[in-house]
Amino acid sequence: MGKPTGFLEYARQERPCAPPAERLDGFREFHGDLTPARRREQGGRCMNCGVPFCQSDYGCPLHNLIPEWNDEVFAGNIPHALSRLLKTNNFPEFTGRVCPALCENACVCALNGEAVTVRDNELSIIEEAWADGLVIPAPPKVRTGKRVAVVGSGPAGLAAADQLNRRGHSVTVLERDDRPGGLLMYGIPAMKLDKRIVLRRIEKMEAEGIEFRCGTEAGRDISAAQLTVDFDAVVLCCGARKARELGLDTAGVSGVLPALEYLTAATKAVLADAENPRSAAGKNVVVVGNGDTATDCVATALRQGAGSVIQLVRKPRPDSAARVWPYPAAGVKTDYGQEEAAARFGRDPRLYSTTVKELLRDDAGALRAVVIATDGREKELPAELLLIAAGFSGAEPETAAAFGLELNGKGRLGDAGFRTADPKVFACGDMRRGASLVAWAIAEGRACARAVDEALEGYSNL
Amino acid sequence: MRRFKTGAMSYGSISQEAHECLARAMNALGGKSNSGEGGERPERLGTEKNSAIKQVASGRFGVTSEYLCSAAEIQIKMAQGAKPGEGGHLPGKKVYPWIAGTRYSTPGVSLISPPPHHDIYSIEDLAQLIFDLKNANRDARISVKLVSEHGVGTIASGVAKAGAQVVLISGFDGGTGAAPRSSIHNAGLPWELGLAEAHRTLIENGLRQRVILETDGKLLTGRDVAVAAILGAEEVGFATAPLVALGCVMMRVCNLDTCPVGIATQNPELRCRFRGKPEYVMNFMRFVAEELRIIMARLEVRTVEELVGRRSLLKPREDVSGPHPGAVSISALLDDGKDAPAHFDPDAVFDFALEKTADLRVLLPAFEKTLRTGKPKTAAVAVSSVDRTFGTILGSEITRRWGSALPDDTVTVEARGGGGQSFGAFLPKGMTIRLTGDSNDYFGKGLSGGKLVLCLPKESPINPGENIIVGNVALYGATGGEAYINGMAGERFCVRNSGAKAVVEGVGDHGCEYMTGGCAVILGPTGKNFAAGMSGGVAYVLDEKHQLYLNLNKELVSMSAVSEKSDVQELRDLIERHAAETGSPRARTILDNWEETLPLFKKILPNDYRRMLSAIRRREEKGMPRAQAELDAFTAVQRGER
Repeated sequence: MGKPTGFLEYARQERPCAPPAERLDGFREFHGDLTPARRREQGGRCMNCGVPFCQSDYGCPLHNLIPEWNDEVFAGNIPHALSRLLKTNNFPEFTGRVCPALCENACVCALNGEAVTVRDNELSIIEEAWADGLVIPAPPKVRTGKRVAVVGSGPAGLAAADQLNRRGHSVTVLERDDRPGGLLMYGIPAMKLDKRIVLRRIEKMEAEGIEFRCGTEAGRDISAAQLTVDFDAVVLCCGARKARELGLDTAGVSGVLPALEYLTAATKAVLADAENPRSAAGKNVVVVGNGDTATDCVATALRQGAGSVIQLVRKPRPDSAARVWPYPAAGVKTDYGQEEAAARFGRDPRLYSTTVKELLRDDAGALRAVVIATDGREKELPAELLLIAAGFSGAEPETAAAFGLELNGKGRLGDAGFRTADPKVFACGDMRRGASLVAWAIAEGRACARAVDEALEGYSNL
Repeated sequence: MRRFKTGAMSYGSISQEAHECLARAMNALGGKSNSGEGGERPERLGTEKNSAIKQVASGRFGVTSEYLCSAAEIQIKMAQGAKPGEGGHLPGKKVYPWIAGTRYSTPGVSLISPPPHHDIYSIEDLAQLIFDLKNANRDARISVKLVSEHGVGTIASGVAKAGAQVVLISGFDGGTGAAPRSSIHNAGLPWELGLAEAHRTLIENGLRQRVILETDGKLLTGRDVAVAAILGAEEVGFATAPLVALGCVMMRVCNLDTCPVGIATQNPELRCRFRGKPEYVMNFMRFVAEELRIIMARLEVRTVEELVGRRSLLKPREDVSGPHPGAVSISALLDDGKDAPAHFDPDAVFDFALEKTADLRVLLPAFEKTLRTGKPKTAAVAVSSVDRTFGTILGSEITRRWGSALPDDTVTVEARGGGGQSFGAFLPKGMTIRLTGDSNDYFGKGLSGGKLVLCLPKESPINPGENIIVGNVALYGATGGEAYINGMAGERFCVRNSGAKAVVEGVGDHGCEYMTGGCAVILGPTGKNFAAGMSGGVAYVLDEKHQLYLNLNKELVSMSAVSEKSDVQELRDLIERHAAETGSPRARTILDNWEETLPLFKKILPNDYRRMLSAIRRREEKGMPRAQAELDAFTAVQRGER
């Protein structure tokens, strides 16, 4: 530990961030970084706990060696910090931006004070390392001659591919969309994760020998049978993209979109600098859901110039922000999207204990309003765009079916050992675990890579 | 839960809040908390915050007559399970003024308990200390803490013969907070081995009924307690687990004073973060007891006594995995067909024969009225070397009735003859013993406010300046009071003195070692290694032959002339009183030739102590109240003020 009394001397200081009202005119990231001196202090706040809860099961799913690299941050030794960071986390630039930081909930400093800025420290290490040219392609010295296909290029697929490639297997990643990255590319909006950051990583992986085939859907563009012939193993990590349904009759109504479809269109339009037919511009928008995806929808709609944004939350408003360490806070969490909506419209966009009962459309079949029930009374909200971000019910069944595999009752595929009924086919990520965090996806991808490696080589050193 | 105890964690290593929480919890449950070796603040003694077990370790921090009298059990710490062969460690940054006050030491100076007790070099010495402590508090049972090691059974047998009523076998798993890493990883053995051996050896020697066996070392559950009982333990100690109940998150920074939950720290800012309550510890203990009950019911055992030593109830697990399954044979712990369920029997307890002591035969009857009324009285009594620990029982009665409120010289004993071992041990304020003759080892051990005078009979032909009239280790662990010795003392004079003022006419080797307070005046030669490890207090030595610099251990102290006015005054006062009390011709000569003799005196002052004193004085001169000046000086010196 760099500084035993650091947590007493320095206050927690997060990355500076542009005021909500000033960041709505575009899809750029809105956080800066601390000066190097301040960053070092934040590293010095780490107490180097004898039992580091941040890297325990209560904290980081990746079991990141947090106290070690906090210490290196305090010492200002980025190369060492980087080597410890990359030991457990393939893509710190993603988690450093989008992770909800379970580690900080579990931080012992947060027991009776404020947590160490673990996520910010992580991001600072990796970004400084990229800037300093420390992150350079390192192709494996020896190839095993084994070939692995990874179906899906989200964080789980990328982590599995990266690990397997590092081991010397020849990896091909299949992505059905036009760009690689899965939810990293199209699920998370660009102001949270700049798409250049994703592509920067993909380029590095390509330089290390991984082949990316975009616009290729397994089972459609290349048959499952062909894949199992061409490759020694296939890893399915196609996500849990099946949206949970609200039980509304949407037949013949335009203007009702699942969140992912809406967000994907939004990012595609930003990247192509093109018109977006699904844009919220000028519309009254209603978002259903209370998770990160719902927040992303709110924030995206605001940037597109929505006329109003209302977010409907099924559960009642939590009464207190009481928190039982080391668990996350149970109270109302106001994220960036809600802050921005409040800045734009003067009030928090959320309505609690309510959901959409009925859709009202105009003569052309376009949505014009939704009926919600609140306090036992029905109320009509004007809405030309309804975004459903009510969670995911599991994987889409098609890809699994193409391999002759069946999802389980929860819409998932794969056992605890990442195996499926087909000994050559493995599954990981949200597809196996259900919709979860990027950090969990990376952890899944890493563990699955180990399972694949063991199957191919008889042992694994991953 | 009467069998449950908390581990010895000193006030100093853990905060006042945590220490008091443990005491309140255990007192409420009828169990026992352990003070640890750092003393206890006098205002806690006798209240619900009183620790039932008072520990006496080699450092003897804060071991006063009051401290001993407040105990239900007095524990002699021979070693610690986590770091056998080492004493306690309290880093300087945790020695805040209030800790130093309780320990009679200097703020900011690291406190390292010496590996051995300076009054124990053999099992007979240990027996003597047990006897001393029994005299100092007849109601307390005396416990001896040993560590699990090969051969501990033999030691335990010796300890049982020496009169201990409780033998604690401490394992290596716990107690690791501030222990050096080398010890955590490389020292000690599991309690299971030591306990099983001690139990067996005690039975073989017919001594098992005489003692209660206790064990500790990261016991956490009712199952642990059940196994401990089966291996021979009748009482058990917990330390880590109750601390976790109080909020410990095992930061392993106990040595840095940065405990973020206010337990192992003295920093007031961090202590505010302490959230523990006695109830948490009580709940923990209740759950452990409940689990033990469940296990006992399953084993069809009704009482803990029935469970003790029933090794046939243990069987090895068959599903042991790991890199070397079967590499360790635990058959020594298991049933060997000689199952020996034996336990403590109150009727077999060691008989100290206290009724034969001079105190109970002569002194108590003689001073019975004085004890009630506080009216001064003097009594004469003849002593011989068989009168061990003379005056201590009377002293304990004074402490019980009067605390330290009795005026000096209220109880005066005029003794004649050769004093036995531990003459005048733990003598409290208000009591004076004047011995005409000579005395054995441990004279004035743990002196805590009383006055001891030792002089030669007028008719004696010998020169007191050249003859040793008091044995080794005089005034070991003294915390207050005065001693005037008209003659030379043996080796290790005033070791661990932390408050007594003493005048003597020459000392042997290792004088004033590990001293942390008080004042020693030596009107004659010293042996080698003088003032080793001395971190507080002051010594004045009459260095006529200019040889002191050869004998002085200069690691922590420096030598100077006696020049400051207050020092000169203090020194002269003490010598005058020495002359008055003992009639010492040498003192008379010095006083008569004061101007010529004064330059021959050397003042020995520990460097850290001097730094602290001057930092405090500077602040007091600016008008700061004493308590604030101490704390401010402490923080400033920690930051490097000279």
